[in-house]
Amino acid sequence: MIKIKNIHKKFGKNEVLKGINLHVHPQEVVVVIGPSGSGKSTLLRCVNALEHFHQGEIEVCGITVSPKSKELNELRKKVGMVFQHFHLFPHRTVIDNITLAPIQVLKQSKKEAESKAIALLEKVGLAEKKDVYPSSLSGGQKQRVAIARALAMEPKVMLFDEPTSALDPEMVGEVLAVMKNLAEEGMTMMIVTHEMGFAREVADRVIFMDEGIIMEENVPNVFFEHPQNERAKAFLSKVLL
Amino acid sequence: MDFRWDIVIEYLPLFIDGMKLTLLISLLGVIFGSIWGLLIAFGRMIKNGWLRFPFSLYVNFFRCTPMLVQLLLIHFGVMPLIMSTPNAVISAIVTLTLNSGAYMAEIFRAGIQSIDRGQTEAARSLGMNQIQAMRFVVLPQAIKRMIPPLGNEFITLIKDSSLASVIAAHELLYYGRAPMGHYSRPWEGLLSAAFIYFVICMTLTVIVDKVEKRLKIDD
Ligand SMILES: Nc1ncnc2c1ncn2[C@@H]1O[C@H](COP(=O)(O)OP(=O)(O)O)[C@@H](O)[C@H]1O
Ligand SMILES: [Mg+2]
Repeated sequence: MIKIKNIHKKFGKNEVLKGINLHVHPQEVVVVIGPSGSGKSTLLRCVNALEHFHQGEIEVCGITVSPKSKELNELRKKVGMVFQHFHLFPHRTVIDNITLAPIQVLKQSKKEAESKAIALLEKVGLAEKKDVYPSSLSGGQKQRVAIARALAMEPKVMLFDEPTSALDPEMVGEVLAVMKNLAEEGMTMMIVTHEMGFAREVADRVIFMDEGIIMEENVPNVFFEHPQNERAKAFLSKVLL
Repeated sequence: MDFRWDIVIEYLPLFIDGMKLTLLISLLGVIFGSIWGLLIAFGRMIKNGWLRFPFSLYVNFFRCTPMLVQLLLIHFGVMPLIMSTPNAVISAIVTLTLNSGAYMAEIFRAGIQSIDRGQTEAARSLGMNQIQAMRFVVLPQAIKRMIPPLGNEFITLIKDSSLASVIAAHELLYYGRAPMGHYSRPWEGLLSAAFIYFVICMTLTVIVDKVEKRLKIDD
């Protein structure tokens, strides 16, 4: 579903991704963990072509992206992305946030887009909020709307970049519950998170990244019980206190 | 000092005519200037430095030379190349357009760049192209922030349009100066003109302030 082949990415002289190889299979949930600054966000952004890379190749749902590719919108239509800071459109109501891209990009009728949007809002438990503006929502509600907005494009893959890191602790659960639901429905997902409990429960595979390299990958039970890599051990001992 | 109201009354119809032309010149200047300024603003945001350079040069030229010099250059230098008998009103409108275009370009650019990059990224990640992201996501938010500075630019433009009296465009200050010639009296004409400018600009200032407050509440 996602094939990442030898990706290199630099910001100026700073090489942030140093040859990443990773395959994500259909319906697989891959959780990416690692210290801050290790390149996790950059990797996700490359998969969605929000970030240009210098070497290597990424294939998503049969669409290949290389450093020279131009047709990136086709790829982005198939890949949904959820950001740490939600990035809802503040000048549009919740339902208009969700229907904007389906109407403009997929050329759905307003009616069709709205009935799908309402179904998605029900799925994330926010049907009654459809006509309010994002500013009146709590963080957890905003993130659930952002998930619904991404799902409205009917993506084949969903990327999550620390979706709960900007939330008050009591709101983390509601967002993770939506994500878990999505995983159980068979969505292919790549998730960057610091929620180790969630990773353990929902991930099919855990990737540990540091300094732009995948240092270790394994099924969650093995990874969390018996990490091999020294840096992974140090990282886990810090976050699993 | 005696103030001769009879002169004011004698010239009043001309002051009104001049005011109308002042408003027309300024209004056309602000409309054409906005369209022109939006194009310049996009030019100023081109990533490639070489392509961006002419737009930056344009903006800086018009911001860092006196408008009177620009007006004289356009009226006596540029317009004769285009039309056989230069028209002072057209020269004034062209100058105001080119000049306000430079200032408005900066207002547009600042407004667009004040919108969080995350908004564009969210739009792009939903498959929108750059134009769709600009049109449906960035501009609607940016325009709200641009309205107060654009209102102020319009006020500045109305005052600056008085320079056109130098090339004998029959706008408000042109007639405000007329009694000086006929009666050798400065006060009546100039104070009348000043009063009319003041009323127009003060009214606009109040409107801009109101709009600004309103937009703040919506945020
Ligand atoms: N737009 C950018 N410009 C320059 N450097 C960046 C940019 N984005 C990220 N970086 C750098 O890339 C490195 C990896 O960042 P990131 O992918 O955000 O890490 P993580 O998500 O794992 O915390 C960091 O050193 C960061 O400073
Ligand atoms: Mg990050």
